[in-house]
Amino acid sequence: MSEQNISVALDRDHRSLSLADEKVAMEVKDWNLYYGTKQALKDINMVVPEHRVTAFIGPSGCGKSTLLRCFNRMNDLIDIVNVEGEMTLHGDDVYAKEMNVASLRRRVGMVFQKPNPFPKTIYENVAYGLRLQGINDKSVLDETVEWALKGAGLWEEVKDRLNENALGMSGGQQQRLCIARAIAIKPEVLLLDEPTSALDPISTLAIEELIFELKKEFTILIVTHNMQQAARVSDYTAFMYMGELIEYTDTDSLFTNPKMKRTEDYITGRYG
Amino acid sequence: MERTEFKSHISEQLNRNLEELFNQVLEMGGLVERQLENAVIAVENADVALAKEVLQIDKVINKEEMEIDRLCARVLARQQPTASDLRLIIIAIRIAVDLERMGDEVVKTAKLVIKMADENIDCKQLPGFNALLEITSCANTMLKKVLNAFARLELSEVISVVDDEERMDERLAHAIKEVTQGFNDSDLPAECLLEMVFALRASERVTDHAANIAESIVYLVDGRDVRNMDTAKLSEFLSTIE
Repeated sequence: MSEQNISVALDRDHRSLSLADEKVAMEVKDWNLYYGTKQALKDINMVVPEHRVTAFIGPSGCGKSTLLRCFNRMNDLIDIVNVEGEMTLHGDDVYAKEMNVASLRRRVGMVFQKPNPFPKTIYENVAYGLRLQGINDKSVLDETVEWALKGAGLWEEVKDRLNENALGMSGGQQQRLCIARAIAIKPEVLLLDEPTSALDPISTLAIEELIFELKKEFTILIVTHNMQQAARVSDYTAFMYMGELIEYTDTDSLFTNPKMKRTEDYITGRYG
Repeated sequence: MERTEFKSHISEQLNRNLEELFNQVLEMGGLVERQLENAVIAVENADVALAKEVLQIDKVINKEEMEIDRLCARVLARQQPTASDLRLIIIAIRIAVDLERMGDEVVKTAKLVIKMADENIDCKQLPGFNALLEITSCANTMLKKVLNAFARLELSEVISVVDDEERMDERLAHAIKEVTQGFNDSDLPAECLLEMVFALRASERVTDHAANIAESIVYLVDGRDVRNMDTAKLSEFLSTIE
């Protein structure tokens, strides 16, 4: 038996992840963003791989949340923001004049730091996006609500109280409800902006586990202050510093052998 | 890479733990060095007292390995090290294993000295005697080099360790032939000759462990895992870094 055959028999895949092998969900080229005259993002170039979790880490003010909000044009809501460069979603120009922002946000959903359920029933929270799309068929709604709540790992906990007010749920449950609401409309990409920073450690683990499951169906981008969280949940990690993308590679490499000193100093908690 | 980098964390606790880890590994290495030095003199001078000290030091070395594991487990659990800090933890555990095994191997040479004294035989009469001295001395030199490399995070002497290890492989093969010849030619008791074979093999194993430590240090400093790389490729690789 040859060495290769033995390796095959062990069924181990020794290759590490590589961006070069991935299908591209989103692509960012020469991306710059200004708040008035202040430049917040500088020449960002990156591809977001499909069905993977990509984490953004970096110190406060490094631009990671700003960049995340570019992916579904949340920054459009801020008057003084100007952007230049190119951003595509499965080949479509995200910032094209003809791009309908509402339909873009259906394709690129978002979950925020603080759970923000509507003061409605659990059922209506999840069905909300579908109703906005004009879907009112009860059987379709029932099916999708159940699917989304199962996807968010919440179904077993809430199936008997779907008509209760969502604000009566715990913080962790509310955040999973927001994830269910986001996935109910089956976006291509899910943006998570510090989704667990307001949650206790156990709820945090539940969300992390969920993220791992959700990547089978969605492409996920997550901004987190918690480096260990990035290490736990992501396939790829991007380290940003003062508006620049310093290092972007597979998470294993970034956390064991980063190439840039700035990355090393940040993730090991050293004075740079 | 500089040692000072491991002292520049915002967390003073992590700085202290990693510094302690460096010191513990170096102390443990120092104990094995002392064992090897003792072993060389004990073989040369048939010094039983010194040989017995080798056995005593081994017990301390075994405890040191556990101490290092404990410290590494604590840092992993409490401080979740990453990047070079993580690599330091991984290799400290590995080096501790290598050092502990080295200690065990040196004991075999010490036992040879004790056995010969019991049998009233001068070690110098045994075939393989010169090779044993040479391999044990070389092992000691290799250990000094790798401990220096670890203390300074500097790889310039690592190539010579890899070369030494190869050389000692060949030296052992010759020595074993000499001793095998002794089984036929000499009237020395077979069990004494066997003890010599054990001691020779053990000394050569010490050089293997020193080479393992060298590989661990390459991983710490450069992040590349060079284990199982063939010697030519490894030498080429080492000449490209730094």
